Amino acid sequence: MAIPIVPQLLRAHLAELAENDERHDGRARWESRNTELEIGVLRNAEGSAKVRIGDTIVYAGVKFQIMTPYPDRPNQGGLMCSAEIRPVAGPNWEPGPPSPESIELGRVVDRGIRESGCIDVDNLCIIPGEKAWQVILDLFAISDDGNLFDAFALAGIAALKSAMLPEVKFEMSDSDRPLPVSKTPIMCSYHKVGGRFVYDADGREELGGDERIHITLGDDDHVHSLQKGLKGIFTENEFSEIMEHAQSRCKELREMVHNAEEAD
Amino acid sequence: MGGYGDVQMIDENGIRVDGRGPGDLRPVSIETGVIPVADGSARVIWGTNHAVAAVYGPMECHPRKIQRQDRAVLDVRYNMAPFSTTDRMRPGFNRRSREISKVTADALESVVLLEMYPRCKVRVEIEILCAEAGTRCVGLTAASVALAHAGIPMTDMVVSVASGKINDVVVCDLNKEEDNYGEADLPMGILPNSGELVFLQMDGDLSQAEFQQAWDYNMEAAMVVHQIMVDALKGGDA
Amino acid sequence: MSASMVMKDGRVARPDNMSVSNDAGGPRNQGRASLLVAPGEDLGESEGHEAGHGVLEMDGRLRATKHGRVNDNGTEIAIEPLRTAYIPRPSDLVIGYVEGCTNNIWFIDIGAPFNAILPMSLGPGKAAFGGTRSIMDIGEAVLCRVQEVEETHSSVVTMKGMGLRKIRSGNIEQVDPHLLGRLIGKGGKALRQLKEDTDCRIIVADNGRVWIDGEFDGIVSARDQLKAMSDDAKSIGVDA
Repeated sequence: MAIPIVPQLLRAHLAELAENDERHDGRARWESRNTELEIGVLRNAEGSAKVRIGDTIVYAGVKFQIMTPYPDRPNQGGLMCSAEIRPVAGPNWEPGPPSPESIELGRVVDRGIRESGCIDVDNLCIIPGEKAWQVILDLFAISDDGNLFDAFALAGIAALKSAMLPEVKFEMSDSDRPLPVSKTPIMCSYHKVGGRFVYDADGREELGGDERIHITLGDDDHVHSLQKGLKGIFTENEFSEIMEHAQSRCKELREMVHNAEEAD
Repeated sequence: MGGYGDVQMIDENGIRVDGRGPGDLRPVSIETGVIPVADGSARVIWGTNHAVAAVYGPMECHPRKIQRQDRAVLDVRYNMAPFSTTDRMRPGFNRRSREISKVTADALESVVLLEMYPRCKVRVEIEILCAEAGTRCVGLTAASVALAHAGIPMTDMVVSVASGKINDVVVCDLNKEEDNYGEADLPMGILPNSGELVFLQMDGDLSQAEFQQAWDYNMEAAMVVHQIMVDALKGGDA
Repeated sequence: MSASMVMKDGRVARPDNMSVSNDAGGPRNQGRASLLVAPGEDLGESEGHEAGHGVLEMDGRLRATKHGRVNDNGTEIAIEPLRTAYIPRPSDLVIGYVEGCTNNIWFIDIGAPFNAILPMSLGPGKAAFGGTRSIMDIGEAVLCRVQEVEETHSSVVTMKGMGLRKIRSGNIEQVDPHLLGRLIGKGGKALRQLKEDTDCRIIVADNGRVWIDGEFDGIVSARDQLKAMSDDAKSIGVDA
């Protein structure tokens, strides 16, 4: 991705805002932008979701393939998660092989979902040692105005929860069955802007900010993945402050996923 | 084109599998402004096809070697999202996408006033999120609306539709089954204000009379879609 | 230079930077409520009318080439685009960011397709050859004026002139160039009101960047009002 210049005035202004406990778009420090979640939006995907956070818009789609289980795990299926940020998503995203930024995005979301154990990989085995389901979760951004991480993670888990195993198409039974997803891991991302961490940074805050921290929490507030990205230093106190907020915010977002599921 | 004559796709009353008559289009809806960070954007939902297009620019053309001193370069990319098809589409290089990107660029270059922006580049990004049949037509139509929405000057918008043949009957706007088992496909890119063409492909088998019928269906359908495009632009952003 | 250029296929068009009616502020010379058109729409016979911005003469008829509103001033028919890229014109007041420099030139991002060039001779101060960054560094903001625009739209900017300077404090907001007219208001009334309300110095540049400087509370309040105005314009949409 092309790196735009960072206006010095923007950094100075963000610092001044932080001193006054303000944000450039008028939000409070822990306030998110308007967040919308829709599921079952794309017909050809076995599960799909669209998330809009402010001007950031992403899709997630689930597809299934038949795989041969790995020799060391003959009774298990697989999960693959990849993020693609094509040049449609913003002026700075470029065509070509996946950029380090999009690979990081895909892997961080993957870890949160995989490690939460929400997908029972034993349940995906069809014939031990021979055939198993591979779940492929594709994350696809169409508009990037910051915080793709949370948008991807939310769309990803919602798409998985709405996915149907295509047993009819693969001639295995007379009806499709829902992919069993037992938990709802949720990611919350924090960005250091003007010297303090804020929740859900937008594009301008990302441009004028420093390091970011991503936390994925499971149903019982168990921590499933952490990632610190970009240049910057943070303290233990800062981290515990973030963790505290993440616990309450994850509950709200989990509720949003459950509501969308019920409405579907 | 498969040409499976034994698959019955249209009944004796001329009713197709999805209930349409031979000359009917699938439902089409268009919205503008669906990608807030883009300079111009559009979404086209056509049957179960779902395409978005974003326009960025005009901007300085990089790399320098593709820069043109007398006009802008139209950099068009058509791509299918991995979950857009029945079987997952592997991301990455794809000869089909490259060809469609090229013919789409050729069609749009015929109407965009590229002479107004020497040494610049206008990026057109077409993403197919859900594919049924005729995605190149849907993509080209979406790109036209997105270019207009971005304020890029053009002599006309391109409307793209396809007609074809199933069970020896010429029909307009093939759906997925018809596209798989049909005997011919004729996609065209039409300038609605003059009736001229900027895009034409065909594969399959059509007699001269069938070809004329398919052509006429496309011309009629283009006028219908054009009105939806104009209404979307005049109706304001989503 | 002639006011219009003839393209290779004989069509006549006006490049953006020479068009009479293409105010960067768009609606500045807005007259009556007018017709909305899409590219390709026929605007009637060309007889007795000149083709203005966004209008082409083809086979004796006028045709819209942009999505926007038709403005007919009696002699010329032009389109006032709803959305458009900023294209610099000589004497435009612009806010730019230093994006790069050589020994004696700054490259300024003015939000146009091309970076503008600011030679040291037109810069804010004298420095030795090679001392450009000691005067103005990458990422710093400047208030400058477009001095010259090439046919290709690349431009030269100057900082020689009243009030032109390096911007050291305050905040820069981005407003869609076509909304500037609304922001300024008739005879500058809306802008004057905003300045009074917030007690801020506010400079609206032609490239859609708005510099707000003053006390912190004033800056925040000006920002909120700008945002409200632009949301308002969007929600009303094209019927505004």
